[in-house]
Amino acid sequence: MGVFLQYTVIGLTVGSFYALVALGYTIVYGIIRLINFAQGDLSMVGAFLGWTLLVSFGFEHLPIYLALVIAFVVPMIGTAVVNLGILQFAYKPLLRRSLLAILITALGMSLLLQNAAELIWGAAIEAYPPNLLPLSGFFVGPVHVTYVQIALVTASLLLMGGLVAFVQGTTMGTAMRALAVDHDAARLMGIDVDAVIRIAFVLGAMLAAASGVMLGIYYVQIHFTMGFLLGLRAFTAAVLGGIGNIPGAMVGGLLIGLLEAYTTGYLSGTWEDVVVFGVLITVLIVKPTGLFGERVAERM
Amino acid sequence: MIAQLAERPVGRAYATVRDRLGRTPYWSRVIVVLVAIGAAVISWGDDYVTAVAVSVATYAMLGLGLNIVVGYAGLLDLGYAAFFAIGAYTSALLMTQAHWNFFTTLPFAVLFTGTAGAILGYPTLRLRSDYLAIVTLGFGEMTRITFNNWEFAGGPNGVLGIPWPNFFGYEFNTQGDFFIVGLFLLAIAMIFAEHLDHSRLGRGWVAIKDDEFAAESVGVPSLRLKLFAYVMGGMWGGLAGAFFATRIGAIDPTSFTFQLSVLILIVIVLGGTGSLPGVLLGALVVVALPEVLRELSDVRLLVFAILLVGMMLLRPQGLWPRIRRKPKPFYGLEEEEAEDTAARILREHQVQMEARDRRHAAAGHKVPSVGETLLQVEGVVQQFGGLRAVDNVSFNVRRGEIFSIIGPNGGGKTTLFNCITGVQRPKRGQVLFDGRPVVGLRPHVIVARGIGRTFQGIRLFKNMAVFENVMVGLYPRHRTMTWQAMLHTPGERKDELRTLQESRRWLSFVGLESVAGRLATELSYADQRRVEIARALAAHPHLVLFDEPAAGMNPTEKLELVAIIRKIRDLGITVILIDHDMSLVMRVSDRIAVLDHGILIALGKPAEIQNNPAVIEAYLGREDDDMGTLTAQEA
Repeated sequence: MGVFLQYTVIGLTVGSFYALVALGYTIVYGIIRLINFAQGDLSMVGAFLGWTLLVSFGFEHLPIYLALVIAFVVPMIGTAVVNLGILQFAYKPLLRRSLLAILITALGMSLLLQNAAELIWGAAIEAYPPNLLPLSGFFVGPVHVTYVQIALVTASLLLMGGLVAFVQGTTMGTAMRALAVDHDAARLMGIDVDAVIRIAFVLGAMLAAASGVMLGIYYVQIHFTMGFLLGLRAFTAAVLGGIGNIPGAMVGGLLIGLLEAYTTGYLSGTWEDVVVFGVLITVLIVKPTGLFGERVAERM
Repeated sequence: MIAQLAERPVGRAYATVRDRLGRTPYWSRVIVVLVAIGAAVISWGDDYVTAVAVSVATYAMLGLGLNIVVGYAGLLDLGYAAFFAIGAYTSALLMTQAHWNFFTTLPFAVLFTGTAGAILGYPTLRLRSDYLAIVTLGFGEMTRITFNNWEFAGGPNGVLGIPWPNFFGYEFNTQGDFFIVGLFLLAIAMIFAEHLDHSRLGRGWVAIKDDEFAAESVGVPSLRLKLFAYVMGGMWGGLAGAFFATRIGAIDPTSFTFQLSVLILIVIVLGGTGSLPGVLLGALVVVALPEVLRELSDVRLLVFAILLVGMMLLRPQGLWPRIRRKPKPFYGLEEEEAEDTAARILREHQVQMEARDRRHAAAGHKVPSVGETLLQVEGVVQQFGGLRAVDNVSFNVRRGEIFSIIGPNGGGKTTLFNCITGVQRPKRGQVLFDGRPVVGLRPHVIVARGIGRTFQGIRLFKNMAVFENVMVGLYPRHRTMTWQAMLHTPGERKDELRTLQESRRWLSFVGLESVAGRLATELSYADQRRVEIARALAAHPHLVLFDEPAAGMNPTEKLELVAIIRKIRDLGITVILIDHDMSLVMRVSDRIAVLDHGILIALGKPAEIQNNPAVIEAYLGREDDDMGTLTAQEA
């Protein structure tokens, strides 16, 4: 039982990172029905931006709170700018065209981001400052919980809460929800569709960047290919929850994190993906719209 | 543009040459082209160039397979590398463990991957395309990881020491030899793919990709065809995989990653989805371009990515897109006089009807003769939430009559059509056609039973030519099997020719033969409706349901429509018609049913309906409510 709870803690921590990236997939998909394959790589860009600030610029020596604020906020803004650029140059001209062309473009952008990152930061594995946050922790019964885990999960939850508040509480959020239902009707109601799409891309990128920095802090090592696996897991999470559905992405992320932790713990790390995808496929066969998804019209 | 081109002398000559070329068998053209390429590469290329060419051939085979799944059937597959892997491992293990010859392992590799396609396809057929993307991606990863963890297959080290192909003692062991084997397999892959493309299967796939609902409603069994697409796609992947294994000599799981699946997808999108020469071109670009860019070493993939994105922006339809317009779709068919065509249609239809009635009687059912009940609607109820769209409606339609259903908007007319054609399942009640219940059958089965239909909003297959649209309508009448289509057997060829001929006759029946080669969307609204009618008639139905065929037509076009409807009845086909144009309905109908708020309020001859107080009330309102308040306000 103690072991099980220990895996649960690990799973929830990793799952909260997946949930953040999955939210990016889901927001963008909900509005323009595009699977933005570059989402995981945006995370990687965020992680490297954070690393540059902390290590190359030496901000790790600043007071810890200031260092953390800079290491999160600046990459989030920077990645948002990158994602806006991708939207403007690559996706925008294709939005009303074939789904397949835009999907290939998204895969191309993923490849482009990875190789650009390799060019800028090199192919070597880089390391976040290992003791940025206190490494110690405490025991709850038999379960060991570290302060890093507490801090990162709290930060994830805050970001998710902020996103939900934004989507449910603001005018822009209402416009996003309207757009998710019907583009043309939203346009006729006077909603600036382009502006809403831009906001979706900004939000998606910011969440991805935050999760990238968190991964850096948690696992210490970062690499220019890290976005692929992260993106894959997050995409799976988004679909598991029902793509386009915000609570679905969060629950999906946490579930994938847990599945991964249990599989690694009880079976073997090599079977992780088989179990994750096996569960996904089973869920989709039983409930083809994902756990929380509703039926939406097909566009191809 | 092609049509304009055909009007100029040069263009006409070109079109003629193309039509002539089009008549030489496809296999001969493939062989000529591939032999030429092979000779050029082997005589001028060094080992390096030949090795790259071998890779191009492998990718082209993979592209051809994925093209069936994505390009034809429109099923997004992001895990195609799995089939490549299964093919490679099957062949490699048979060669190393059982010491089989490469060529004898081929059928098994293909068989295994085809089965894998069925296993992947069967449970996922009903998923939407985006979900399908992740499921296929997951399948790809699961396959790779399973091989990685499977001790018998060498685990992460894979299978080593795979022998070279051996053909009656001759060992293929140079790059040039591999290229020959590769071209041979590629030729097989291309010829079979082309045959499928030009069979009823290929047309069915493209129809499903365009509009699955409409395809199902004109008789295409969409689920079965999607499953076929997976199986076929898997088989091509298996062929490529087996070739890859023997050529490389050692395979391991890292050769079959998600990145490979993406590359194959890029091959077909770059070339133009659904286009066979496009696949070859795409494979050439995807394999050769990074080689050309090799000098850029570090930034090679970056440049590749930029080129890919730029390409998608500038030419999203691909380098060599498939053009489905055809300047002369019926080139080579024997000409027929107009009266001759009409007579042939009538004769063919009578033959079909008689054969059908005979089959029906032989199966022990009662065959209704003209004037007897053909369709029986009994107490049909359809409910959406709290709204009763169709409320306990019963009526009979007699064989050979024109029966109209009218009523104010929202009266439940289209819903009733949907219940009869299997698009919706009524909550209660029964529909009997030819004395047999049809409720609960899938739409394509009902089409095969003999009910055709058109749609209120036009639902033609937009990316297909007009004549192809009608040929899709002939789907239920084909009797050829898939293997016959792949081999393009004489029987299948005859069937295809007959299909083409009949599509032409039906188009001339509705007066559209001259525009048969255009894309469906290039026609006027009224003409598109007429294509829909031809498509519905092509299967020689017993009963057709027309949903507002006159909507959007001008008075002349409506007159022509009346003539067409009468011609259809003269063939012996029973017609049920929904329309709002009263003068048209009154003129053509034998009997009329009136639906208001889902309830059948009147049924009878046109004259009776015109004077029925309930009908007048439904259309104009009661004198003492609407009219009353209106006068009160005015006063």
